[in-house]
Amino acid sequence: MSKLSQVKAPTLETVTVSVEAPSTIRWRGTITTKDPGVDLAGFTSAAHRAALDDGLAELTVDISELTFVNSSAIRLFIDWAMWVKDSGGKAYKLRFTTSRRVTWQKTSFMALRTIAGDVLSVEHVD
Amino acid sequence: MVAGDQPPKRGVTPSRFGSKAKITASAGMQPRVSGPSSAERCAPNPGDRPLVTVVCDAGSSVLEATHSFLTAYAASRLRSHVVQRLSVAAYELLANALNYGSVTGDVVFEFFHARSVATIRVSNEAIPARIQKLIEHAARVQENAESAFVEEMRRSVSGGIPHPMLGLARLVHEARLMLDVNVVDRRVVVSASCSD
Repeated sequence: MSKLSQVKAPTLETVTVSVEAPSTIRWRGTITTKDPGVDLAGFTSAAHRAALDDGLAELTVDISELTFVNSSAIRLFIDWAMWVKDSGGKAYKLRFTTSRRVTWQKTSFMALRTIAGDVLSVEHVD
Repeated sequence: MVAGDQPPKRGVTPSRFGSKAKITASAGMQPRVSGPSSAERCAPNPGDRPLVTVVCDAGSSVLEATHSFLTAYAASRLRSHVVQRLSVAAYELLANALNYGSVTGDVVFEFFHARSVATIRVSNEAIPARIQKLIEHAARVQENAESAFVEEMRRSVSGGIPHPMLGLARLVHEARLMLDVNVVDRRVVVSASCSD
């Protein structure tokens, strides 16, 4: 069994996170909690480590149904990209699946690509 | 709680907002505009009545409930992409006011929709150093929103100090809202508007 599939998904009122083996994590809902790092950074960190342990070439993070996030939550995805970037080529590639209909995703991931474009890709479901 | 175009009854206090926060129909609060022409384009007219008003203390925990309510309310009368834009403004402006506002005065959150323009307006008291930082940051955002947005994203990477101010950059770059910051004494009034 893969390490990734054993990572426990966080449980928050407004967002549902599911880990789908072998290499997809899906986020749905909204992230509005004041300090989302408290509830979610442990999960993203664990997922990153598990993906490394599993030797994944690519990890898909589907956020196309994550319709709103606050600024603090954007940082979760920035941090994740930087962990991969800091792995110096030993890590997997992050593939973010986004929706053009969700405004925050367009601008945030365009900017994130300028910061860590070498370790991530962005695709659209629509 | 709020239906159609009718403003909520004065003094309605939904339990989820807690005892210190009030949603009211304000009787025409006058915008205290001190700025130049941009304010005239962005701020509601003096006679406009807010459709939603939330009055609370700085530091109170009304952020998520207010954001959720405003988003649902806006969705009942505006198109989806406009709702998304206002939703960002509602969250980020109120979060800033609650986080950085002084406890010496109320935080007032308002939503206006008049003459095809939707506006979120948040006002709060603040100390002079905070006000100065806000003015400088707002000027930077208005000069080049995309650049400010990417810069704040980079600052987030470094976990830098001062605290990342991504919120205002999001309003202008991401949500394409017209931003207006006005200060009268120690009262800060920030408005974000867009066409409906």
